[in-house]
Amino acid sequence: MRLKKGTKAPAIIPTASMADIAFLLIIFFMVTTVHEVDRTSVNLPLAQSREEAEKGSAIVVLAKDKFGELYYMFSDGTNMSHTVNGPQDIYHEVSAITYRDSTTQFILKADESVRFELVDELLDTLRKADAQKVLLLCQQATVNRG
Amino acid sequence: MKLPRRDNDSEIPTSSMADIAFLLIIFFMVTAVFSATKGLEFKLPKDDNKPPEQEEAVFVKVAADGSVLVDCRPMELDEILAYLEPKLLRNPEKPVILYTDASAQYKSMIAVYDVLGMAKVETHGYKVKNISVPTQSEVQEYIQLFGFNPFESQCG
Repeated sequence: MRLKKGTKAPAIIPTASMADIAFLLIIFFMVTTVHEVDRTSVNLPLAQSREEAEKGSAIVVLAKDKFGELYYMFSDGTNMSHTVNGPQDIYHEVSAITYRDSTTQFILKADESVRFELVDELLDTLRKADAQKVLLLCQQATVNRG
Repeated sequence: MKLPRRDNDSEIPTSSMADIAFLLIIFFMVTAVFSATKGLEFKLPKDDNKPPEQEEAVFVKVAADGSVLVDCRPMELDEILAYLEPKLLRNPEKPVILYTDASAQYKSMIAVYDVLGMAKVETHGYKVKNISVPTQSEVQEYIQLFGFNPFESQCG
């Protein structure tokens, strides 16, 4: 007996759900994307006992460029960070913020390899400008369970 | 004359929707950044020129090479909490002074500060509540008060 030829199904890739997947991904990225006020690339020191920074905190940056030269940046927490000349400028910026709200948190984003005296100078500047809360920004250190 | 009626399927053209969606995905993927928003909390003392209170404190010194002295004894990072435990269980308010050499690397100070912050009441039974990190201007105030740097001369 001769078998009947099967019905010819068109060879297509089902793409009906692709748009759903794509829109799910879009929603994911839209929800997780945050507006950052500072994008300076800094080698942060490692720490395990970290706390979350408060939203809207001002940021003081002490970073090294590709030639190893140090530079300072500052953001008041709402505007993008800009270059400042040094602790003296930072003092004026911080004073202006603490005058309005003394409880503002300041994030210190400093390169891990800078000499402590420079960080110390910044901490001193923040103290003199009446800053009370400082967060030393760190990267997550891997927990040694060995 | 009656025109022949064509039966057109009514549908929304969605063929380009996937392209638009993927373009948006690529945009968000490119602009997304991994941001670090966590760190170690640090309380600054007020700039009120009050004379320092006399109280026996644990003195932790970070030397220029990153080595650590606790009450003038060389110590590894993982030994610090074990040393502090009996002292802080007796007196939970005991201050810990963390003095870092000016030429030490910032990460050396953070490593010690991190260890001090790891002590939790739930896991260790105590917490290091009073960590004092004297800044250079505070050191100058001490020098004016005592005539010498008490942090540098602490360990002879």
